[in-house]
Amino acid sequence: MQVTCRSIARAAVLTAGLILSLTAGAQVRGGSVTVGVEQDIPGFDPLVIGIYDTGAMAAAAVLFDTLTRLDDDGTVQPRLATSWTHSPDFKTWTFKLREGVKFQDGTPFNAQAVASNYRRMIDPDNHCACAFYLSAIARVEAADDMTVVYHLRNPSVKLPALLSPPTVTNVFHSPAAIKERGKDYNRHPVGTGPFRLVSWQSGGELVFERNPGYWRKGHPYLDKVVVRPMRDPNARMAAVRAGDVDIIWHDIADDVVKARADDSLTVREFPASGVSAVVFNLEKPPLDDVRVRQALRYAMDLEAFTQSFMHGLMSPATDPYGPGSGFECRDVGALHYDPAKARTLLKEYGKPVRLRYMVTAEPRGQAVGQIFQAFWEAVGVRVTLDPVDQTTFVNRSFVGDFQIGGWRIIDLADPDPQMYADFRTGSVVNISNYSNAKVDRLLEEARNTADTDRRIAAYCDIARELNHDLPWIWVTNNHYFSIARIGLRGVHKQYSDVVDVADAWWAQD
Amino acid sequence: MAAPEAVAVPAADTDTARPRPRGLPWRLYGAGFWIAAAWLAVALAVAAGADLLPLPDPDKMDLFARAQPPGGAHVLGTDALGRDLLARVIHGLRVSLAVGFLSPFMAVALGGALGLWAGYRGGRVEWAMMSLADVLLAFPPLVLALVLTAYFGTALINIILILGLLTVPAAIRVARAVTLAVAQQEYVTAARALGASDLRIMLREILPNVIVPMTAFFMVAMAVIIVAEGALSFLGLGVPPPMASLGSMIAAGRNNLESAPHIAFVPAVAMFLTVLALNLVADALQSRSDPSQGAA
Amino acid sequence: MGWRLAAFIGRRLLYLIPIVLVVTALTSALGAMLPGDVAVSMLGTQATPAKVAALQHQLGLDLPLWRQYANWLGGLITGDFGVSYRTGEPVLSAIAQRLPVTAELMALAELGALALGVPLGMLCAARRDTAVDRLVTAGAFGMLSMPPYLLAVVLTYFLAVLWGVLPSSGYVPLADAPLANLRSMALPVLSLALVEWPPLARVLRSDMITTLRQDFVLMARAKGLSPLRILFVHALKPSSLALVTVIGLNLGRLIGGAVIVEVIFGLPGIGQMLVDATLTRDFITLQGGVVFVTLGFVLINITVDMLYAVLDPRVRHGSA
Repeated sequence: MQVTCRSIARAAVLTAGLILSLTAGAQVRGGSVTVGVEQDIPGFDPLVIGIYDTGAMAAAAVLFDTLTRLDDDGTVQPRLATSWTHSPDFKTWTFKLREGVKFQDGTPFNAQAVASNYRRMIDPDNHCACAFYLSAIARVEAADDMTVVYHLRNPSVKLPALLSPPTVTNVFHSPAAIKERGKDYNRHPVGTGPFRLVSWQSGGELVFERNPGYWRKGHPYLDKVVVRPMRDPNARMAAVRAGDVDIIWHDIADDVVKARADDSLTVREFPASGVSAVVFNLEKPPLDDVRVRQALRYAMDLEAFTQSFMHGLMSPATDPYGPGSGFECRDVGALHYDPAKARTLLKEYGKPVRLRYMVTAEPRGQAVGQIFQAFWEAVGVRVTLDPVDQTTFVNRSFVGDFQIGGWRIIDLADPDPQMYADFRTGSVVNISNYSNAKVDRLLEEARNTADTDRRIAAYCDIARELNHDLPWIWVTNNHYFSIARIGLRGVHKQYSDVVDVADAWWAQD
Repeated sequence: MAAPEAVAVPAADTDTARPRPRGLPWRLYGAGFWIAAAWLAVALAVAAGADLLPLPDPDKMDLFARAQPPGGAHVLGTDALGRDLLARVIHGLRVSLAVGFLSPFMAVALGGALGLWAGYRGGRVEWAMMSLADVLLAFPPLVLALVLTAYFGTALINIILILGLLTVPAAIRVARAVTLAVAQQEYVTAARALGASDLRIMLREILPNVIVPMTAFFMVAMAVIIVAEGALSFLGLGVPPPMASLGSMIAAGRNNLESAPHIAFVPAVAMFLTVLALNLVADALQSRSDPSQGAA
Repeated sequence: MGWRLAAFIGRRLLYLIPIVLVVTALTSALGAMLPGDVAVSMLGTQATPAKVAALQHQLGLDLPLWRQYANWLGGLITGDFGVSYRTGEPVLSAIAQRLPVTAELMALAELGALALGVPLGMLCAARRDTAVDRLVTAGAFGMLSMPPYLLAVVLTYFLAVLWGVLPSSGYVPLADAPLANLRSMALPVLSLALVEWPPLARVLRSDMITTLRQDFVLMARAKGLSPLRILFVHALKPSSLALVTVIGLNLGRLIGGAVIVEVIFGLPGIGQMLVDATLTRDFITLQGGVVFVTLGFVLINITVDMLYAVLDPRVRHGSA
């Protein structure tokens, strides 16, 4: 081929184009991201606050690291742990830790630190509300400086995945800082994460700055992350549209639809596992009669509900697992909308039915509550709404001071922890006081087997039982949303409903 | 400014010409008062007769006709859950007026009696009453309302009692102040000289003269309580759904302010007009009873 | 006159103590109506009856009410307001961080109300019974009938979302960036000031009308002083008596308005703290907050009374 001026020019243009296209997607250093979350964050010390909600987890995602992380395909990848093995019965897991990692206060991250974190949470003298979520763990010990061994009470096939989200029991705090700061640690936490906490106004926002000693070279891209609690969903939405915040956690379908039509915003969604549900307290008549519970289910037109109120963004759930669980159950016997059947069952029951429905006092809770109340009133059930604040809601759920309530199974890699907690006879979290020997047996089987097919079969059988007995009514499977300004890249998938901007960056265009 | 002439010269003349109530220019008093009174009468009639009017069911949801703008099947549109706004506003007006009437009524009945007694008796009784009033007034009212509704629940009767309780100290103060003025009058002294009992004097001489200013206070309290109930709704502790008050409708309508502002504005206009009317009428009553007081 | 005033102030301040005691005792009693909740909240999934009882004992919640109150009071005197059950944050530290926010909000709102109310009041007094007077009075009545929460929402929609002129929420501390701080306070302040100026304007108007009729004003005019000078220098001071009273009353209302506005705009102030503490049954924080708000409220009343005594025309003009 002849090398003419034209061909050189063409080659130059092509090369430039190639370079440009390669660098156009490259991560850009610097900038800051403000995350709008729903709830105020009470603190980070597990012993003080017991559990992290979505707001705290968004902060924890940048402040701490966990042993593993899930990539966008859902595969478990190394983070603070570089590799892992398990015993044949899946009851013992050994993790090799990454070398050279330091906490933000300079102390080393090692197996002793990991073991110390678990010891502190599990110790019965510490009365940690978090200990409940660690009930499967017998003990965690440091085999050597860089090796941690988990001894479990029952097999856990998915342990590495379960350790990935920044929940209260998965993140690691600097033992030295805890010792030094004592009561102050709760609001002055120290982790190994890409950002460290530099300021926190009481009731206001948390400001994080990049951790210069972060173990992952080249990360983080941002200089600053701000986590701002914004309880009012209107204000959150208005703020992201106006650009006052860069990304928000949001769950209101009307706004999601509007955001999709807005060129300045990006909507990210994650069809997750788990479910939100209406819960019956089986110890309160007439809810102890399965006909009443089934009637209430038949009265609910969930299709219309999801099509209209949820703008069709989700579908009614038929089981508590959902599309994000990775498996599908067929023929689970889910009931559908049939008001005639509802009335028949109620007539069979004979006595008039009057019930109180406990909902959260927020606009969303009240709106959904009124819709379901209208469904039930339409078939002749008298329902009174009982709006209460979040704290009272949780309290009354645990002590059984409610007739109809609500609860949620959140997105986790494995259904076992929550299904067992929520439906096993005698469990503290079994707020519906449900007791079914067959379900108990199936839960034990699913817990103690490593065979995936058998586990799936057991969970589908459990779903069938629950769809018949209806201690809980599934409403929708979890579908998580975040709304962000256009140009924000590198936001991780919203596993466990965490808005994770630890590796985010701003595109140049 | 040309104004000072208007003030300096004609003032002396016009003042003796006819007694004019302070606070409001004369003409506005006339027209405004009557329009306000008319609105209140209409509102009361419509709210009381809500069940008789040919309105759709205010609680009936049409999930596929949510947030419809005014016009068509629904005269004022629908709210976020597909319920007819006209029906809801009328029923909401009824609830707001009920709370706005019963709470101050309780406050004026209880606080008025206590204040009257305190003003008449004086001495220790007066000191005790005023101290009680001061203590209750020193308490941040919204916090008290919050704690009480959080404890006792948000049933309509609770809200009425709680808001009434919060208004009692102000009623005591006003009643006492007015009583003090009246108790000095000659006809009271005369009645006492004639040997009338204290109770008789309080009921026959003092009470009739206290009623008009207390009515003005009552109407202002109505306006304040209607607004306060809305404030409770903003914190999620107003009247329990599906029952709605004007305040809770505004609070709920906030969520759709951008896409469907009528959901918030229809009840807002209704509340605004009602509160405005109450203020105007109260002011007129106050001017009539005590020209030197005027607007405050 | 000096020591009489001092005695007056002293007497009023002494009055403060029983009021604060009674109010906090009441809060304590109200808060204690729900004893189990705090322990249940803290234990969450661990809330077995045995554990709840143990934690209640550990926190001293099973002591008789008067004992708990006495303990808290004792701590108060040494400056220990206790530690929040929910966050582990010392209550005094939380109050110290939040008080400036609320104080700034209220101060700016009152200033805004004055900035609107005083000129408009004087205008109405000077142009009595003209179209301007009637218009402003109508406007005053209108604003009096607006709940601050509705105004907040409307202002947010126009100024923040539609025109993007001001931020819709969020708070920047004054020390960090004064300009950004003022921008973040603009909408909350406007929502309060626009509702609080009417009483000021109307009272000032009616008082000034009286003053402007008095002999010394006629004298000033006869002397040929300019109308503006008369208004501002000679007429305003005597008329400010009632104005001061109304400001005092206003500040009381402002406390309530500030709570709602703080919640709507997400300002981390005392009002928001009180609401959160009530809703999460964080009684230690609630009591500490109530002490501060009560103290502030009563101090304002005392100041108003003092100013009233100082400005009392009988004192100022003597018998002349």
